[in-house]
Amino acid sequence: MKQGYLDEQFCQVEDLQDEASPNFAEEVATLFFKDSARLISNVEQALEKYPKDFNRWDAYMQQLEGSCSSIGASRMKSECMSFRDYCGQGNVEGCMRSFHKVKREHGALRQKLEAYFQLLRQAGPAGAATRPGM
Amino acid sequence: MADSHATDRSEYSSIATRHIYTRVRTQALKGAVEYQERRIRVHHHLKSSIFMASRNQGSAPRALVVEDIKVDCVILMHMLHKLNCEATAVENGKEAVDLFLEGKTFDIVFSDKDMPIMSGPEAVAKIRAMGATEVKIVGVSADFGGREAFMQAGADVFVSKPVKLETLESMLKVVISKKNMSG
Repeated sequence: MKQGYLDEQFCQVEDLQDEASPNFAEEVATLFFKDSARLISNVEQALEKYPKDFNRWDAYMQQLEGSCSSIGASRMKSECMSFRDYCGQGNVEGCMRSFHKVKREHGALRQKLEAYFQLLRQAGPAGAATRPGM
Repeated sequence: MADSHATDRSEYSSIATRHIYTRVRTQALKGAVEYQERRIRVHHHLKSSIFMASRNQGSAPRALVVEDIKVDCVILMHMLHKLNCEATAVENGKEAVDLFLEGKTFDIVFSDKDMPIMSGPEAVAKIRAMGATEVKIVGVSADFGGREAFMQAGADVFVSKPVKLETLESMLKVVISKKNMSG
């Protein structure tokens, strides 16, 4: 969170963990990356198949932005919002640039979270409650 | 001599690393304990407040989640279960409408806006048109423009994503107290 990849919403997701669902945050993260990969692919296909269809591009990106909000992926969400701003301006180049940033942030967040959950597993049950700066 | 010096340096490096690791781990564990205590306090507070509110009602609030994005659905469902709700999930507005057509009843509905087959506002309008006027309908979206669409369709309230646990809790308390008054 110190690096801005995740915000307070991720803490909310972790707070939902309990004895019955000790790995809830990791399960949600896994689901997020599965969902977001699909949503990114939707945007990518729309960029190719529907040139300058800013409404369509925006609609797809809006879904991804919503998912980012739910898990607290703040940097990725910012790039989604930037893409949508460019859609509003009708700026194709801006859209392409910010879409690349969305994909980059997606990859970076995946790496960070994978490392984080790996750390938690190594730390054991007590360390499962620790949040390293992310 | 050089070998001995290299060995001493290696041993020192190993000891220093272990010391740093121990110190970091101790701090991490201390933080983990404090965080764990906070989570337990939050957890007990939520369980007891909704439990007390629903005790007179005799049954858990019945919630319907209408959401096509899996991660959003899973988080919302988990929150509702934590708040002692009986929660059902469907993937689009049509499936929600179908449940009402089958005679299913809910105390509260949480609906996303943009979904395949049938959108949230469209489903809300159909549910209200069926005469389901008592059920509390909450429009949920990352799109602030969704507020108008949901309210025009007949939703009671709009919340933007991400939905907070505290927001859900306060909504459910209203639903429960309304049921207690009418029951």
